[in-house]
Amino acid sequence: MFARLLFESFRRQVRRKAFAVLAITLGMSITTAMISVATDIGDKLNQELRTGSANLLVTPLADSLDVNIGGVDLKPAGERASIHESDLTKIKSIFFRHSILGYAPFLSDSKTFKIGDRAITADLIGTYFSQPVQLGSEIFVTGVRKVNGFWKIEGNWPADDIADALAGASLARKAGIHIGDRLQIGGKELNIAGILSTGSTEDNAIVAPLHFVQQVLDRPDAVHRVVVSALTKPEDAFARQNPATMSPATYERWSCSPYANSIADSISKVLPNVRVEQIRQVEQNQGNVLSRISGLMLLLTIASLLAAALAVSAVMAATIIERRQEVGLMKSLGAGNVAVVALFLTEAGILALGGGILGFAGGVVLAHRIGASVFGSSITVPPVVLAIVLFGALLITFAGSTGAIRKAMSFDPAVVLRGDA
Amino acid sequence: MNRAQLLFLLLLKAAWVRKDRSLTALLSITVVATMSTVALSVYSDVGSKLNREFRNFGANVIVTARQGTLDDGQFAAIKTMLGNRGEVVPVSYAIAEGPSGAPVVIAGADLQLLRGLNSWWSITPPAAQANNPQSGNLPSQAFLGARAAEILSPKGQDFQIRFGKKSLQVHPGAVFHSGSEDDSRIYLSREQFTELTSMAPNIAQLRIEGSPAEIEEQIQKLSAALPQADIKPVLLITAAQAAILGRTRSIVLAASAVVVVLIVLCMVATLTGSVLERRKDFAVMKALGASNSSVNMLFAGEAALISTIGALFGFVAGSAVAWWIGSANFGAGIRPRPGLLLPIVFGSIILALVAATAPLKVLRQIQPAGILRGE
Repeated sequence: MFARLLFESFRRQVRRKAFAVLAITLGMSITTAMISVATDIGDKLNQELRTGSANLLVTPLADSLDVNIGGVDLKPAGERASIHESDLTKIKSIFFRHSILGYAPFLSDSKTFKIGDRAITADLIGTYFSQPVQLGSEIFVTGVRKVNGFWKIEGNWPADDIADALAGASLARKAGIHIGDRLQIGGKELNIAGILSTGSTEDNAIVAPLHFVQQVLDRPDAVHRVVVSALTKPEDAFARQNPATMSPATYERWSCSPYANSIADSISKVLPNVRVEQIRQVEQNQGNVLSRISGLMLLLTIASLLAAALAVSAVMAATIIERRQEVGLMKSLGAGNVAVVALFLTEAGILALGGGILGFAGGVVLAHRIGASVFGSSITVPPVVLAIVLFGALLITFAGSTGAIRKAMSFDPAVVLRGDA
Repeated sequence: MNRAQLLFLLLLKAAWVRKDRSLTALLSITVVATMSTVALSVYSDVGSKLNREFRNFGANVIVTARQGTLDDGQFAAIKTMLGNRGEVVPVSYAIAEGPSGAPVVIAGADLQLLRGLNSWWSITPPAAQANNPQSGNLPSQAFLGARAAEILSPKGQDFQIRFGKKSLQVHPGAVFHSGSEDDSRIYLSREQFTELTSMAPNIAQLRIEGSPAEIEEQIQKLSAALPQADIKPVLLITAAQAAILGRTRSIVLAASAVVVVLIVLCMVATLTGSVLERRKDFAVMKALGASNSSVNMLFAGEAALISTIGALFGFVAGSAVAWWIGSANFGAGIRPRPGLLLPIVFGSIILALVAATAPLKVLRQIQPAGILRGE
């Protein structure tokens, strides 16, 4: 009997039920899309920023002080300690290897170049532009194009396996270097493929492939410093603790959290005799900004969820209030309060589950669309969101229905049937 | 009683008799107006809020003298142009000799300004001062980069540096970690630096507040005013600012658009459903001889009255929620934007009118007698 009543209710009130399902679907689409966007935006922006600038700096422990003013390195290369280039692949072997998006090594010294019949003195910097590196059976492509996205190039990026180079913008202006010029250095020739602007030391230098510079400086397998781009978690009080004073259990928890400090600690374990430091201007400030943006999205999500909950509750309340005469009729035919409540709540539950599933599907599509339009990649919707959405849909529809059912039941059936309530 | 008064009375009576239905419609419109106000307020203000955050990134523009040093007139011109929307810290660099004769970069600057500009520096007292906090108030303190401190003053002790024939006793006042070449440098007060080197500042570190476009505009103005200087943005900072701002505004816009559109659809569904439930009222009016325009006016008037009240409530509630979001997240509330009030009210009225009158077209196709029979 109960099942038949339920079936007839859906069969005879298609329009009313359709409006209710539509409202729940829309509300749950908002819930799914906003939760997905809010939980994924931190990772998406972090990834975006990490391709823009590296956040860790690796230098030899035994190195003497940098002597660098106005972008000119005044320390002779011979006096500088170095790191073995061949060891750098170990950076991708640490526990957080999946958080390491890329690295770029640097080797530099002041050199005199000949351009035509002129001679100019400037820093020669060697680095990876987009260098394929063998990692076991895989090829990992890394270099400044991957970790220093803020570098602006006029012209073309050089390849790593030919004698092409970039001329810093300030140096190019002062020395009259143009794209296509050929510079002579140490019996070798460099073709200027592009002009580089960084707003930093590279603006006054010639930047060439690392292996070319190693040959010119006669420093095979040597690099002076390495910048690493790693996806990190914003620093908190726990991250700032000194690992040397931690208990083994605390240290394990700390070293398994992707803080910049713990990733630096992992790198220094596989590359002995190096110092790994956060580039604090990048890491600290971007971490703060990302926390703000995640917080903003979280608060917007809370406001949206409350709005969706109110909208859905209003629809459910309206749907039941319109059915006061039905309640009156059922009660006058002898139905008890429990039977009426059970019927209405079961209907609400079915509507909630149906609307919840449709809303989840709609929300997934919306989240993907938002991700694709803003970040060029889809936003991941964790499966747990489905459970949250279904639970939320049930909670909201029951909350919206309960008050209205109680009110509908409080009227005298005779009064309701006369149309006076 | 004239027609307008009669219509108003009818509207009030209709709203009062079906209080539940009216409250549901009012709630729906209030929710829409609230979310629209929140979304538009947050979207309008998120740029300026995030630009404030970028103040902590430090210098975003570097001014360098092409030859020689920057004079007082040039610094005054920079300060005048920036006004209260930025900060300028003059810095001079030189190479001195440490105790072992090894070269070390020294710099002269207003140390308090420098510390404020580089707020991300992790600053700790030197080893000696940690054991004896009283020694932290010496007048001629210096800031030591972490690597410089490690090599030149491992125990936090004073040490001597030489520049030409002059020498200076350095009292480490603080050790900082920056993760940059600054870690190898010693920052002295300007007085100490000038006494040792007799050099005037040759670089100005500028923190210009504003959006990337405003910063670029200031760079253009500075370049025109200071033709003898190189003025370059720190791309590491400005590129990150542009990327974050652009993406955040886009995501807030996209998410807000989704929420507002879906909430609007939800409201339209609620109101349309509510009007369809009143088809008996419609039929009775028609059976008693009301014209289509009279019925339309009654339904539209009711919707307009409720939506105006709902939009006003929603604007107030939305402004309050936006303020709360700003205060909770950025430490400064998002101010109410009176300019949004009219669009919110008119938008709500139009939506309510569409939702209330569109179903009447469907009902007109059915004879009143049919509706009253329950068809």
